[in-house]
Amino acid sequence: MSATEIIDQQALNFFVKNVGAEVASQLEACTRCGLCADACHFYISTGNPEYTPIWKVELLRRAYEQNYTILGKLKTAIGLDKRIDTEDIAHWAVLDFQACTVCKRCSFVCPMGIDIAGLIGKVRAGLTAAHATPPKLMAMTKNQLEKGSPDGSDEAKWAAWFKWGEEQLGKSLPMDVKGADSLVVFTMLELNSFRNNLVHIARIMNAAGEKWTLSLRARDAFNMGTVIGDGAVQKKLAERIVKVAHELGVKRIIVTECGHGYVTLRQAAHNLFGETLPFDVVHITELMGDFVRQGRLKLRKGYFDNEHRITYHDACKIQRIGGNFDSPREILNLIAPSSFVEMNLNREQSFCCGGGGGVRAIPEAYDLRMEAFSLKAAQMREVDATDVVMSCSNCRLQFKEGFEHFRIQGEVKGLVEMVAEAMIE
Amino acid sequence: MDWLEFFRGPMFQIALLVFILGMVYRFLRIVLMGWKKDYSPPRGSAAAGVVKTYVKGLGFLPFLPPKFPGTRHRPLTYIAGGMFHLGLFVVIFLSTPHMEAWRSVLGFGWPTLPTPFIDGFAAMSMIGMIILLSNRIVSPVGRMLTGLGEWLNWIVVFLPLLSGWVLYHHLFGMPYQTIFAIHMFTVDWLLIWIPFSRISHFMTYFITRTMHGAKFGRLGVEP
Ligand code: HEM
Ligand code: SF4
Ligand code: SF4
Repeated sequence: MSATEIIDQQALNFFVKNVGAEVASQLEACTRCGLCADACHFYISTGNPEYTPIWKVELLRRAYEQNYTILGKLKTAIGLDKRIDTEDIAHWAVLDFQACTVCKRCSFVCPMGIDIAGLIGKVRAGLTAAHATPPKLMAMTKNQLEKGSPDGSDEAKWAAWFKWGEEQLGKSLPMDVKGADSLVVFTMLELNSFRNNLVHIARIMNAAGEKWTLSLRARDAFNMGTVIGDGAVQKKLAERIVKVAHELGVKRIIVTECGHGYVTLRQAAHNLFGETLPFDVVHITELMGDFVRQGRLKLRKGYFDNEHRITYHDACKIQRIGGNFDSPREILNLIAPSSFVEMNLNREQSFCCGGGGGVRAIPEAYDLRMEAFSLKAAQMREVDATDVVMSCSNCRLQFKEGFEHFRIQGEVKGLVEMVAEAMIE
Repeated sequence: MDWLEFFRGPMFQIALLVFILGMVYRFLRIVLMGWKKDYSPPRGSAAAGVVKTYVKGLGFLPFLPPKFPGTRHRPLTYIAGGMFHLGLFVVIFLSTPHMEAWRSVLGFGWPTLPTPFIDGFAAMSMIGMIILLSNRIVSPVGRMLTGLGEWLNWIVVFLPLLSGWVLYHHLFGMPYQTIFAIHMFTVDWLLIWIPFSRISHFMTYFITRTMHGAKFGRLGVEP
């Protein structure tokens, strides 16, 4: 076998090995009706049929049929289907990494109830096993394993940020506090682009009287293993945070503005370690909602009511599959009761911003993700919204770039900063 | 034994056997591949999710647009899919001759609809199928997703409907016995074909829907 044949075989083996009842039943249930196409922002914005969600799973389907079904074996034998080759792998690497944000919108639309995005995750894993993952994502993975953050930020840089935060606050930040209730974990996106989040969240925690802590050993909730579909990397990175949470004996981990980091810790981590971990994983949006409901956080009513119209962007991992729909709305209805408007497609129906799932990091995907963003911009226009607020840093960056790209006037806000501003300390 | 007797008798029994054994095999094969346990703590009830997804998914809601308003969502595919399946179920279960066939297999019967109604449902079903096929030919997504298997499925399901229709209306002046034999042949062939094809989705549907409801119910999200 040649080197490329060996790699193709690796991908194939990976697919075949990872087929269980869950995958098999879903592959077999698909009636090829094509309805999922109209769920996907990449298909809707470009009309390219290859962006149909289930088409992105084609490699896995072929591998499954060729190895598990009589008809599939027959079809390959008489030449109606061909084995997966290097060209296929390169082609689907583009479809699955650049034209899918793993936003799970399609999974809600399929009439058969197929979790298409879940299957796409498996295809990504197979592509990674075949070394076909976009180089930028691999470089970020290497960085995170070696230095702690995908952009190469190391402990010293984080420590400097924390120190800066203390100066801004005029008081020290709780570090590695044993017996604290909440361990707060940020991401490198905040470190680089939304530095103030540190100060905002510290103020919110203090105002609510929460016993909380930070740790330099559990500093970045980003998880490149989730993005590229490498279980071993995913586990290694999650372990950094899980270990510290165990050690400090916290009741919960608070993930700040990061979608995939949140679902990785809340869902995947338990399964990676094969046990139900003894702490909750809570998103900052949910926590702020709880604080307000419990009366621990007082917000100035109508603080953001002005001539602007503010809408809320539901993030895929935090809202659609995280379920945190109500907290942001309760908060916005308090601080901006008349300025706040819903987009027509909201909650689980919301369109993805177009930048999730690692897509925003891939330079080659820029044009496509801007196409996808145009749907979101149209959603805002439909309800005459000037400003948009959200609780994911990655979405925020995508919105900022999208606003610039399409020359849209308006503000992109984080819910955290709004709460911090409207809060009575 | 003439052809009609053969297709109604031994061939039908063989077809039924292939169908039942085939479906049991497909079901067991999938289920026995094994499920992974989910250790993540639930945020909502999996059972409630399952109930919700069936309430939404059955009752033909899967075929009614627009489940996600605002997406372009091919209302035609939804409506045509609904017409086809609803028509098919009514014809299979609520027409007198088919109920009699079921009675001979199951040993009990049930009330049926008057023939003109059945006629209407059969027509609706076929029109639905023709729309679905046109969509597969016309739309780029449909073309891309349609392979040999989808064509064969369409033909294998359409022929019993068509031959039944011809039989009922005594079309083309063919002898009754001949058309009946053709109808029975197409039915036998459908039964044999199902376990080997994606038409088995009527079974996998219940696996995937249940999984869907349980998964999202557990996450605390409306499935
Ligand atoms: C629980 C029962 C069933 C469910 C939930 C179900 C569901 C579906 C769905 C969601 C589709 C795709 C959407 C569409 O194109 O309308 C579909 C397509 C199809 N179904 Fe079913 N189905 C069921 C039973 C059956 C049965 C019993 C048959 C035939 C004997 C059948 C034959 C077909 C065919 C041929 C298609 C493809 C039509 C085409 O697009 O060309 N289905 N089914
Ligand atoms: S909507 Fe579901 S059944 Fe239809 S093609 Fe997509 S994955 Fe298959
Ligand atoms: S997960 Fe989102 S981006 Fe990916 S195929 Fe589905 S709808 Fe499209």
